[in-house]
Amino acid sequence: MANSQLSARARRGLAIQRAIAFALAPLSTLAVLVLLRGWLRLRLENASGARRTYRSLLSESDAPLLICANHLTLIDSALIGWALGTPAFYLRHFSALPWNVPEQKNFASTRLRRALAYVYKCVPVVRGGDRAGIADTLARFAHLLRSGEVGLIFPEGGRSRSGRVETDRAAYGVGRIVKDVPHCRVLCCYLRGDRQQSWGSLPARGDRLRISLALFEPKAEGSGLRASRDIARQITTRLAEMEAVHFAVRGGGEPS
Amino acid sequence: MSQDEIFAQVVKILTPYVKNQEALDSVSAATHILDELKVNSARLVDVVLEFEDAFDIEIADEDVDSVETVGNAVELIQSKLG
Repeated sequence: MANSQLSARARRGLAIQRAIAFALAPLSTLAVLVLLRGWLRLRLENASGARRTYRSLLSESDAPLLICANHLTLIDSALIGWALGTPAFYLRHFSALPWNVPEQKNFASTRLRRALAYVYKCVPVVRGGDRAGIADTLARFAHLLRSGEVGLIFPEGGRSRSGRVETDRAAYGVGRIVKDVPHCRVLCCYLRGDRQQSWGSLPARGDRLRISLALFEPKAEGSGLRASRDIARQITTRLAEMEAVHFAVRGGGEPS
Repeated sequence: MSQDEIFAQVVKILTPYVKNQEALDSVSAATHILDELKVNSARLVDVVLEFEDAFDIEIADEDVDSVETVGNAVELIQSKLG
């Protein structure tokens, strides 16, 4: 997945998408805030701490940064974006607003959704689709990381049907990206609403979300596919550990 | 190793991952691994790693992208075996 494999046309396309997304960012980031705070009335515990950590990670190194998160709702990428920065921060540091790789059938099935996905820095993927298409998406994503953009990916490959991090669902693509982007840092991110019992479309209205972050350095043993799979498993295992801490700290019952 | 032997071994490795038994019963080189055999895409890498172990070969990430059908897998393995 060398950088040279991404065509000049694809690179230009991503640059144009970024420019358009940036031009519309004053509106798009505000719209997310209105949706999450105004309509869904969500509250975020320890937002300032998470934002401070994120800012510090970005300022202390130019190395590529890939956020790997647990996945429970359709708007997790928006929730994570909101949790890690304010609209004003993203307007000053637009590269910090993460790119993500949503399932095409969820986000790119209609013209309006395609437009929104474009503006919100998405590179849609067809999960389980043809391998060449997936490889192309991964190559685009890796190119963005190498270019200094932050990426966000859900290593389980989809929303967890059990409501818990499913380590055996680790999508090896995330390992492939980490392995193929030199010096890539992985920021594990565990985000969950107190009333989030299982997977769903949206968090419960008025829910309180808690976020935890951990910079993680996966160690690849071996090479090729085996290394990609090992890295992906290490990341999901780390997320599962963060989930255990989440429930230990929060107390109360476990999700049904 | 002949193409038929590789094919038989590939099918044997695929079997535990197959969700569509009917397609497995009539499996051929043209059978699509994900669409017809309904192998979970996240498990495809486990399948390929089992190919590596069974045939003592190494398969690069990029090579997996060309594996759509059982026949593709057989051709890939054959090319690695030389």
